[in-house]
Amino acid sequence: MDSVRCVGLYKTYKQGDQIIIGLDGVNLEVEQEGFACLQSPSGAGKTTLLNAMGGLDRPDGGEVYVAGKRIDNLSKGQLAEMRLHNIGFVFQAYNLIPVLTAMENVEFVMQLQGVPASERAMRAREALNEVGLEGLENRRPAKMSGGQQQRVAVARAIASRPAIVLADEPTANLDSSSARHLMELFAKINETRGTTFVIATHDEMAMSYAKRLIRMRDGKIVEDQLQET
Amino acid sequence: MTATAGIVFRLAWRNLWRNYRRTAIVLAAIVAGIWAMIFMIAFTRGMIESMVSDGIRSIPGHVQIHHPDFRNDPTVDNLMPSPGGELAAALGGEDVVAWSSRVRVPAVISSERGSRGVTLLGIDPVAEVPISFVADDIVEGRHLENERDRGLILGRRLLERIETDVGKRVVVMTQGTDNEVVDRGFRVVGVFESEIASTEEAFAFAGRAALQDLLAIGDQVSEIAVLGKNRREAEQLHRRLAETANAEVEVLPWYELNSYLGTTMRTMDGFVIVWIVVIFLALSFGFVNTLVMAVFERVREIGLMMALGMKPRTILAQIIAESLLLLAIGLAVGNILAWATIHLLSDGIDFSFVGEGLEIMGAASVLKPSLGIKDVLLSTAIVLGLGFVASLSPAIRASRYHPVAAITKE
Amino acid sequence: MSITLRLAWRNLWRQPRRTWLTAGAMVFSNVLLIFLIALQLGTYQAMIDNTLSAFSGHLQVQQAGYKEKQRIRQVVPRIRDVAEDLRSGLGLNSIAARGEAFTLASSESRTYGVLIIGVEPEFEPRASRIPSLVSEGRFLDNPDAPEIVVGDILALNLKAQIGDELTILGSARDGSFAAAVVNIVGIFDSGVDELDRSLAQMPLEFFQETFAMEGAGHAVVINAPSLFEVEAVAEKAKSLLPGGQNLVVHDWNDLQPGLRQAIQADLIGSWFMYGILVILVMFSVLNTQLMSVLERTREFGIVMSLGLSSGRLGRLVLLETVLIGLIGLTLGVALGGIATSWFEAHGFTYPGMEEMASQFNIPDRFYPDLNAISLFAGPTVVFVGSVLAAMYPMARLHWLQPVQAMRSA
Repeated sequence: MDSVRCVGLYKTYKQGDQIIIGLDGVNLEVEQEGFACLQSPSGAGKTTLLNAMGGLDRPDGGEVYVAGKRIDNLSKGQLAEMRLHNIGFVFQAYNLIPVLTAMENVEFVMQLQGVPASERAMRAREALNEVGLEGLENRRPAKMSGGQQQRVAVARAIASRPAIVLADEPTANLDSSSARHLMELFAKINETRGTTFVIATHDEMAMSYAKRLIRMRDGKIVEDQLQET
Repeated sequence: MTATAGIVFRLAWRNLWRNYRRTAIVLAAIVAGIWAMIFMIAFTRGMIESMVSDGIRSIPGHVQIHHPDFRNDPTVDNLMPSPGGELAAALGGEDVVAWSSRVRVPAVISSERGSRGVTLLGIDPVAEVPISFVADDIVEGRHLENERDRGLILGRRLLERIETDVGKRVVVMTQGTDNEVVDRGFRVVGVFESEIASTEEAFAFAGRAALQDLLAIGDQVSEIAVLGKNRREAEQLHRRLAETANAEVEVLPWYELNSYLGTTMRTMDGFVIVWIVVIFLALSFGFVNTLVMAVFERVREIGLMMALGMKPRTILAQIIAESLLLLAIGLAVGNILAWATIHLLSDGIDFSFVGEGLEIMGAASVLKPSLGIKDVLLSTAIVLGLGFVASLSPAIRASRYHPVAAITKE
Repeated sequence: MSITLRLAWRNLWRQPRRTWLTAGAMVFSNVLLIFLIALQLGTYQAMIDNTLSAFSGHLQVQQAGYKEKQRIRQVVPRIRDVAEDLRSGLGLNSIAARGEAFTLASSESRTYGVLIIGVEPEFEPRASRIPSLVSEGRFLDNPDAPEIVVGDILALNLKAQIGDELTILGSARDGSFAAAVVNIVGIFDSGVDELDRSLAQMPLEFFQETFAMEGAGHAVVINAPSLFEVEAVAEKAKSLLPGGQNLVVHDWNDLQPGLRQAIQADLIGSWFMYGILVILVMFSVLNTQLMSVLERTREFGIVMSLGLSSGRLGRLVLLETVLIGLIGLTLGVALGGIATSWFEAHGFTYPGMEEMASQFNIPDRFYPDLNAISLFAGPTVVFVGSVLAAMYPMARLHWLQPVQAMRSA
């Protein structure tokens, strides 16, 4: 079964008085346990596609299925519920809630999901260990480096056990060793937990970790190939 | 649900202290407002409380019974028999703390050096003790010993006006039955003082039987003053006595006997609410301003929380929780400060430099603030209720953010 | 328009909602202050006018000590001459001589203690309002007729009507027994219960005869053309009094000490309320301006490194506050003025007003008095308070270090 499936996605948006075509008939299926990179020059649609897959934004046309359920016609509240249970996000920056500690940030989604406190703490600790942040549980985001913050976001994304993790330019603000470290972490989690990853990036290094590489131009998928890692 | 409530509360609390300077200023404003609100209410309540209790002591009683024409024509022509039978039984009821029947006539009291018109009351000094003010306030000489006592008690100011003294004789002139002017010499045996200075000039007290004797009215009386358990139960007491009494007498509660007092009490409740709302409105501009700023500068964070699956409803709840938390802290501190202020001033604030002005209002010159739990609850409820309404607009705005637009906002 | 002014104005509208909320706090307080102060002025005026003009007047000439003891022998000798001298000396007609005596008055069926005032029928109507408030019958017109006008409550109590006879019993000036039979020719309704219940007036010459006054009286009532001239008139009146008779001039505050104190007592409560309103506005301004300075730290750092002095930045912040303050002042005065003038025209009342009004001798509708003071006093204080509140955010600019400021987020 597919983790996420897009059928004929179409999306335009306005920039000034220009109408930009963000997605122009995109069909895409990402299989379970997949590890895909979306590549395109900026403005060619990868973030728009990622947002549509994650239920952050509704397409103007076409259908989106997450874990077999159609999501493009859900209400705002239903979309939030869907994201809560199915999707993990790692953004380029501004990933964490500033007033919560690392541990609390990881627990945040589980708390909304209603996971009991003891299990929550256990899973959060486990996830933080997995991303190599032992001992930083009680730090607030302002006291952590960019790489550390991204890893907290990853820990949050995996601790809540989503079907799919969507990452938008996760390495863009990191130095190259932190970036490599993060991609290795993604690959390891994909391997050990079987979590599906879709990563939008234009970082060649990041792309080298992907099992599948999808290239976009002007809102269309122009290339979709598997690659050896 | 409880887990969500937990995270909502935690976020609200931590966000509050993020911009501590701003929170501190708003909090200071709220505390000042609440302090003023509670203090002013307690102060006004205290003043009205003293007005009403003084007023009731000078009426006196919670309920009075008269001949139906007595209030329009307060003379010996409108008397009623001493209470007997059913009325006497009703006055023995459990809700009656004390009652006293009195003779009340206009009179002129003359010494060799002057004369003044007063209201002369013939009382039974023993029955009168719990009801009227005289017993406590005798500052010189003695109180009347019993209703047959032939002495006279005058107020300090009257005593000075007509230049007489304890132990001296004065002449009491009044109208007996058949419009005969009757007069008799009385010895001044005691002097009373009152917080309301005009009372000292307006009233004089004699033994009831002595006065009945002078007026030749047998055992008839002018009024029956009835003291109930407290003034709030006056309505029931009045109803019960009115049902028992026959049509030949008029039974009235204190708030009709002195309609200024009754109205003041009622107006007071309106004032309390108006004052709470005014203070809140004055606060609300700064308060809403702060919320708007807080929401505005947290756009991206709110977008992030939404992206992670927090429902718009929960976002709304979080902003409202933050605002109510802020108000609750302000309310708590403001109330504590107000309470402390009131406690410090529990001996009363001396306003005797405007004492004669307060007297026009019917108030004593030393005013003691009195804080009622009802007013505290009322102000808390109104402030939190209006606070909820005021925070709705920024909260709704926040809950309508679009996650993508919010996150990518610079 | 100077560049600083233009900059300040633009800065305000970077956050229009915040500017409006801050100005809104000022407008709210200003409207409230204008209305309440106007209401107070109107009410106090009515209290003073009604209480003083009904009977006691602005000033009274009495023998020293009479006010306290009110003994019949504490007199102003040859009182009509004294009054006449004052009238010509002061150039005022609103001056009248009076005698006062506590008596027992009996009608056919009732007897009450009454304060009898001997008045000059010719001059009393110019000195007090009681003559003009005769609601039944007429006022006195003959200086020595055995006639009397009584208050309406007293008439009711005495069960007496126009044309009935009253028997007056009391003590004369020399301590002898004084008695007279008089005709009720009028009944007045002053609206002040205390006067209506206990006061009666008879012609002064008849009064002097009855109470063996030998041409003396107890008080000369003087009304100044307005409250503001009372002091000057009092000074002049003092110089016109005959010497060696121990006479004094009491002003209305001596005669009705409760009145001024009632106003003062009310003012204490009001000042407290007004003070709180102004303080709350000041907090609001402090918060807004502090936030606006803090969020521009970086911007300020840049312009400072370009050579702008912190003094000029301070003036900018001050100017911004002044501009918000002016918006609050203008809108507040406009809205407050409009709302208050509506009430000035239509009056204002609330449930229970009637009982309150009779306690304080005021009409049972309030008419706020909108004038320069009531219109501008509150808003000016709010404006000055707002500018003062901006001092702290301004002071912070002086501690600003350009390099640090530029680095701050």
